[in-house]
Amino acid sequence: MKLDPGILRKRRLMNRFMIGLFHLAMIVSIGVLAAILIKLVADGVHSLAPSVFTMSTPAPGSKGGLFNAIVGSVLVVFFAILFAVPIGVLAGTYLAEYGRDSRFGHVVRFCNDILLSAPSIITGLFIYGLVVLPVGHFSGWAGALALCFIALPVIIRTTEDMLRLVPDTLREATIALGCPYWKMIVSIGWRAARPGIVTGIILALARISGETAPLLFTSLNNQFTSFSMNAPLSTLPIVIFQFAMSPYRDWQQLAWVGSLLITVTVLALSIFARLFSRRKT
Amino acid sequence: MNDNSPETKIKVSVKQLNFFYNDTLALKDISLDFPDRSVTALIGPSGCGKSTLLRVLNRMYDLYPGQRAEGRVEVDGENIISPGVTVSALRAKIGMVFQRPTPFPMSIYDNIAFPVRLYRRLPRQQMDELVEEVLSKAALWNEVKDKLNRSGLSLSGGQQQRLCIARTIAIKPEIVLLDEPASALDPISMGQIDELIEELRHEYCVIMVTHNLQQASRVSDYTAFLYLGELIEFDTTNAIFTSPKIKRTEDYITGRFG
Amino acid sequence: MEETAPAGTMASRNSNAFDQAKVPAAQRPRLVAFGSGFEPVFGLASRAAALLVVLVMAGIFATLCYQSFPAFKTFGLPFIFNSSWNPVTDKFGALPAVTGTLITSIVAVVCGAPLALGVAFYLNELCPFRLRSILTTTIELLAAIPSIIYGMWGLFVLVPIMSKIIQPAVINALGPLPLIGAFFQGPPFGIGMLTAGLILSIMILPFIASVSLQAFATVPVALREAAYGTGASVWEVCYRIILPYTKTGIIGAIMLGLGRALGETMAVTFVIGNAHRIQMSLFAPGTTISATLANEFTEAFGKMYLSSLLALGLILFAITFVVLVITRILLHSANRKIPV
Repeated sequence: MKLDPGILRKRRLMNRFMIGLFHLAMIVSIGVLAAILIKLVADGVHSLAPSVFTMSTPAPGSKGGLFNAIVGSVLVVFFAILFAVPIGVLAGTYLAEYGRDSRFGHVVRFCNDILLSAPSIITGLFIYGLVVLPVGHFSGWAGALALCFIALPVIIRTTEDMLRLVPDTLREATIALGCPYWKMIVSIGWRAARPGIVTGIILALARISGETAPLLFTSLNNQFTSFSMNAPLSTLPIVIFQFAMSPYRDWQQLAWVGSLLITVTVLALSIFARLFSRRKT
Repeated sequence: MNDNSPETKIKVSVKQLNFFYNDTLALKDISLDFPDRSVTALIGPSGCGKSTLLRVLNRMYDLYPGQRAEGRVEVDGENIISPGVTVSALRAKIGMVFQRPTPFPMSIYDNIAFPVRLYRRLPRQQMDELVEEVLSKAALWNEVKDKLNRSGLSLSGGQQQRLCIARTIAIKPEIVLLDEPASALDPISMGQIDELIEELRHEYCVIMVTHNLQQASRVSDYTAFLYLGELIEFDTTNAIFTSPKIKRTEDYITGRFG
Repeated sequence: MEETAPAGTMASRNSNAFDQAKVPAAQRPRLVAFGSGFEPVFGLASRAAALLVVLVMAGIFATLCYQSFPAFKTFGLPFIFNSSWNPVTDKFGALPAVTGTLITSIVAVVCGAPLALGVAFYLNELCPFRLRSILTTTIELLAAIPSIIYGMWGLFVLVPIMSKIIQPAVINALGPLPLIGAFFQGPPFGIGMLTAGLILSIMILPFIASVSLQAFATVPVALREAAYGTGASVWEVCYRIILPYTKTGIIGAIMLGLGRALGETMAVTFVIGNAHRIQMSLFAPGTTISATLANEFTEAFGKMYLSSLLALGLILFAITFVVLVITRILLHSANRKIPV
C-alpha cells in the first residue's frame, strides 16, 4: 500500500502541535506554583524577624508580630485533630469492616463522599448555627469543631481505603485463632494499615491548617491577645485575611509573612505525608 | 504408613452436612468421620468443596453473610454447627493454616506470642520458652533464633508457612486444619512442610486439603475423595490409592480426569 | 443492629455466643480469648462514629434550612430570582450571587479543564519515567496551597497584570466584536469575574488532573500498545483511544472540579470586587455566594440580613450537593472513587 505523504505530514503536524500544548499546560501549571512560591518568599522572608514569633498582632503603624495568631491556630488545629482522629479512624473502620456492604454503610459512605468535597464555608455556617448562635458568642471551640468536621471525611476515607488493602486471608488467619473481631482489627488491621492511616491524618492536618472560611463564622478574631478557647480567638488565616485586605502597608507585610509561614507548614506536611507513605509501603 | 489400629478414636464426626453459598448447594449430604492422631487428606478437583468442608469445621463461614451449614458436625460429641457454640473457644481448639503464608505484620516473636496472649498471660520467661518450643517443633528455631525481633514478613515463603504452623500449635489446639499448606511453596519448602505434618500426626487430628496427590499418598493415613460437592469415597490412604472401590476415584487417582 | 445480612454479623454473632457455661465442663478447660466481652463496645463505638457522619450531613441541611427560614418566609421563592441586595432597606435577593457563582465556576472549568487534561496527558504519555512521580507530586501540591494564599497572590500579582496588560489588550481586540464583545467591556479594573475564574481554574486543576490520571490508569496496556503498534501518534492515542475509553471518568473529574469551584471562598473573595450587580462583562466586579458570606457575614446586623446570608449558604449547599452526587455517580460507574 502506498502511503499518502500529505496525510502523514498533516498527522505529524497535528501531533507536534498538540504535544506542544501538553508541554505548555505543564509549564503553565508548574509556573503558577513557582510564581506563588517566589512571591511568598520575596515578600515574606525579609520581614521574617524574631518579633514575628514573640509579639502579638499590632495596631496599624506600630510594631508587632503574629505570636497570638500562631498560638491560636495551633490551638484550634490541635483540638480539631484531637477530636477528628479517633472518630474518623473508628468510622473508617466501620466502613471497611463491619459495614462493608450494609445499607447503613452505603449511606455513611455517600454522606462522607459529599462532605469530603463540600465547600468548607458550609461547615462554618453549620457550626455557626449549631454552636455560636445558641451559645451567644464566637469561640475557639467552635472553630476547632468546624475544622474537626472538615478533617473527619479525609481521615475516614483514607482509613477505609487502607484497611481494605489488608488481605482477607490475614483477617481469616487471625479469626481462625479464636481472636475476637475487634482485637483482630486493632492488632492486625490497624497495624498493617498504619502508614496509610497516618498519611491520611497528616494530609487532613495540612488541609485544616490553611482553612480560613469556616473560621470566619466560628472563632472569628480577637484584637486582644487571648488564648481562651471559650472566647473569640485570633488565628493565622483570619489575621492574614484581615491584614491583607487592609490599606496599611505594615499590616500587608505581616500578612505576607503569615502566608509564608502557613504555606511552608502546609507544603512540608503534604510532602512529608507522601514520603512517609512511600517509605513504608 | 497407615496404622489404622481398631481402637482409633473419632475426633470429628460430620453427619449429613449440607452447605450453601446463598442458594447454591456446595456440599451435599456429607457424612464422614475424622480419626484422632492421624492425618486425613481431602482430595478432589477444584471446586469440589474440599476447602469448603474444611472451613465449616472451624466455622470460618461465619465471616460471610449468605453462607450457612445444615446438618451436624460433632467435635468430641458436641455439635459445632449449632448457634449456641462459643466460636472463639472452638477456634482455639481447632487451628488452621492457609494456602498462602499469612504472617502477621509484627516481629517473629510476636507472631507466636500474639495468639498465646489471647488466652494466657505468661511471664516473659515462660513466653520465651514457649516461643522456642513451638519454633523448634516447626523446625524453624535454628533459622530464626538470632532474629526474633525481625518482622515476620522478612522470612522466605517456606519459613513464613512454618511460622504460621508454629503459631497455630502455640495455642495447643487438638485439631489442625491445613488448606493446601504447601501449594504456594517451592519443592524444598514443600518437603519441609511434609515432614512437619508427619510430626503433627502424633499429637493432633490433622485434616488437610491438597491438590497434590503425591503429598496425600505420602503423608496421610486416610483419604476422602470429593467430587462436585459430594463425598465419593473415604478409606485408608492405602486403599484409596491402591484399590479404589469406585470408578470415578480411580479415574481421578490415575489422572484420567480432574 | 439495623442490618441483618452484612459482614458485621460475624462479630455480633461471636459476642452473643459467648457464654462459658455452654462449654461442657467435662471437656478440657478452654479459656475464651481475652477481651471477647469488649466486642459489643467496640462495634457500637465504630457504628456511633459512622452515624456521626450522617448526623453532620443531616445537621448541615437542617441548620441551614432552619436559619434561612425567615428569609424564605419573607421573600418567598422569588428570593432566588431577585437581584436586589440592600441591607439598608432589608431587601434581599440571591440572583447576583448565584449568577456570579455560576459564571466564575464556568470560567474556571472552561479554562481549567483543558489545562488539567493537558497536564494529565503529558504525565501519562510524554513525561520521562524518572520525572513522573516528582512532577505528579508537584501538581498535587497545587491542591495543598491554602485558598487564602491564592487569594493574596491573585490580588497582589494577578490583578495588576490583568488590569495593565491582559484586560486592555482583550478589550481592544475583542471588545468591538458583536455578541462576544459584550463579555469584554468596561474599565480594566483587574478584579472581577474573569480574574476570579482564572484563579479558580488553577485551584481545580490538580483535582481534575489527578482523577483523570486515575481514569487513564484503567486503560488496558494492550490497547495502548496496539494503537502505538499500528503507527498512531501520541496525540492520536490520547484523542482516539484514551479519551473515549475514559470519557465517564473524565466528565466525573470535571464535575468534581466544578463542585470545588462553586464553593471556593477565600481566593474569590480577594479578587471578585463584591458588587451585587449582574453584568454581562466578565471584567466587571461581581460577587459569589461564598464571597458574599465571607465579606458580609461578620458585619451583618439584623435578623433578615443574617437569615438571607444563611439562605445563600443553603442555595450553595444545594447546588454543590447536586453536582457532587452527579460526580459520584459518574466516578462510581467508571469504577472509581472521588479522591481526597
